[in-house]
Amino acid sequence: MRKFFPVEELARDERFNKITMRDRMGDPRTALNVSTDASGKRTNNFRLTPGRRDASDGARGLMHGIFVGEIQALEGAGRTCWDFETDTEAPFALKLDMARQCWDEARHVEISVKLSDWMGSEIGQYAENTVLFEAACSTDPVLRLAGVNRALEGLAIDVFTTMKEFGDLAGDPYLEFCEDWMLADEVTHVKMGSDWLRKITENDPDRRKKALEFQSVVDKLFSYGGTRSDSQESPIGLARRFRELAGFTDDEVADIAEVSMQALNERKSAVAKMREAADQFASSAAAE
Amino acid sequence: MPVTVTPQTFNYVFYDAELIRSIAAGLLGALGMSDHEVFIDVDETTPLARINCTVDDAIHIHADSGAFEDTRKPRQQSETATATSLGRVLLRARDRLVGGFGEAPADDDLTLAQVAAWETYCIGRLQRFGVPVNQQRWRYNFRNRHGFSDASDAAFEQIWQSEGLTWGELNAISDTSVASSAH
Amino acid sequence: MADPYKPRAPFAPWDRRTLPGIFDVEESARRVGNYKWAEMKLFEVLGGWVATVPELDVKMRLGTHCYKHAWHAELWHKRLPELREMNPDRLTVPANDAMVRFVEAMTEPEAPELTIEKLVGVYRVFIPRFIAAYTYHLNGTSEITDAPTIRSLKFILHDEFEDWRDGEMILQSLIETPEEAARAASHMQKLEAIMIEAGGIAGIGTLGAQ
Repeated sequence: MRKFFPVEELARDERFNKITMRDRMGDPRTALNVSTDASGKRTNNFRLTPGRRDASDGARGLMHGIFVGEIQALEGAGRTCWDFETDTEAPFALKLDMARQCWDEARHVEISVKLSDWMGSEIGQYAENTVLFEAACSTDPVLRLAGVNRALEGLAIDVFTTMKEFGDLAGDPYLEFCEDWMLADEVTHVKMGSDWLRKITENDPDRRKKALEFQSVVDKLFSYGGTRSDSQESPIGLARRFRELAGFTDDEVADIAEVSMQALNERKSAVAKMREAADQFASSAAAE
Repeated sequence: MPVTVTPQTFNYVFYDAELIRSIAAGLLGALGMSDHEVFIDVDETTPLARINCTVDDAIHIHADSGAFEDTRKPRQQSETATATSLGRVLLRARDRLVGGFGEAPADDDLTLAQVAAWETYCIGRLQRFGVPVNQQRWRYNFRNRHGFSDASDAAFEQIWQSEGLTWGELNAISDTSVASSAH
Repeated sequence: MADPYKPRAPFAPWDRRTLPGIFDVEESARRVGNYKWAEMKLFEVLGGWVATVPELDVKMRLGTHCYKHAWHAELWHKRLPELREMNPDRLTVPANDAMVRFVEAMTEPEAPELTIEKLVGVYRVFIPRFIAAYTYHLNGTSEITDAPTIRSLKFILHDEFEDWRDGEMILQSLIETPEEAARAASHMQKLEAIMIEAGGIAGIGTLGAQ
């Protein structure tokens, strides 16, 4: 088996349909500014709460996103066990942590399957965006930790916090229970990444800088064009308290908040351009 | 009576207006509603899956593109999703047209619990018409609006199995379920 | 209550442990070093394969088992300094060249259609060899002087049996035709041939003098 597995070849059964971030961003449709609250009036509040008219479907879709994200996190941690030679490329203890993460992520996949059943979703019912694994493809284990453990798992903290609150508000004991447990694991994984990043780059400031820059890029990517930010327009909020527990400094959280808002605004601007182009195309087609 | 779909050509999604029309026509026949003129307006600029309808001389359906989408393949149309979405609003329209639902609020004025109860009633019947349905999806939706309790599940089963309910009966089941879950 | 000052036998009548063992400290450390190396290779490949298998249940099992073998490697890593090997890396080595070739052959399959080959290598060849080596060590070592190794062996053997059963049951569910059974047998034969040359996880003599 080769080292460094390409994202395009991630193995899935026939129920799954993989799409890339490019595909996702190429969709000119957007829910931004057009969501409705319980009274059906137009609003800019798109946070995923039970009060949203499409709350159940929104939660099911997000849960499926968590499910495939857990699969990719499992695959990413597993590849770190394989891709790097022990000690010469990655410390033995780091690889042990990644193996532990494999077990945790495998459990999260199991939990997600059970939760999806509970919520009435089917495996593969939604397209799978493979962007999470892409962050796990770096050839530098430190960059991989920054991308996977700090950015990806950091996003997981935000998502699980949103879903835990959703379960709590909806009175869904099953959802709240599961998210609570998964959240505990994710905080551990982020802390693992923070600790290793600090330890490995202790005497290598350039490498640390590069890793943090990479994390910032991934954080922006994982903001999914505004899906996660402090703004109420984003379905997923930024879980500041749990991020703090996981070892993020206040400055780091502020940076993530800023790049998330940038991503939201860039997405709005990109959608506006795509819509303009689509409208022009429609007008010219009608004229012909 | 004709079914008119707008737009005829889609720019944001890869949908087929004729397919939407034929699915709607098939459902109208199966539901005994072929004598009604139907206008289906699809908002292709949003991926949301909202769908609602108003009834006057004709039936007017307004759907977000997500209501007809194949969630496995973004921007592609799903025949099952199209049938499920259209079926549930057409059944709601039929309920309003055939009587017994005269006092039901307009779609926009329904509470979340009332929407969930009525959808359960529609989807249960739709399944018996042969449209593929994941019952657990609708049970979960019902629970979110009526509580995660045995009483809520019993109410769901009662509504799902029912035919010929009036608005008063449907609303009473929903209200009782919400009240018992609150205790 | 019995008189607390009355002399009692240091070993209770039901405690039948004996002092003699067939390994001295050096031999025990050598074996533990081989175990650690082999467990490391196993957890690494299980982790690597997760992305290559399309079957969801297999993916989750490999991820779960990956950690167990990493933990075994960690237990052996911690045991080595207690066996007078202050540089654990010195003894973290394969038993011999054949063992290296075995691991190379076992870890070779990558394509998504080769789940049977991947699982056969681990669950029908490698893990049974672990069970054999550990059982031999458990039965042969001094029950008193080497108690820490025995404790680890018992934990690890519990895992190995559980994982072997998981893997074997998955294999039985995947192998549906005589052709697939032949594929499994052929791959097993290929790997067994190398393993015979290696002699087992701790090399020739893994299961006693030969």
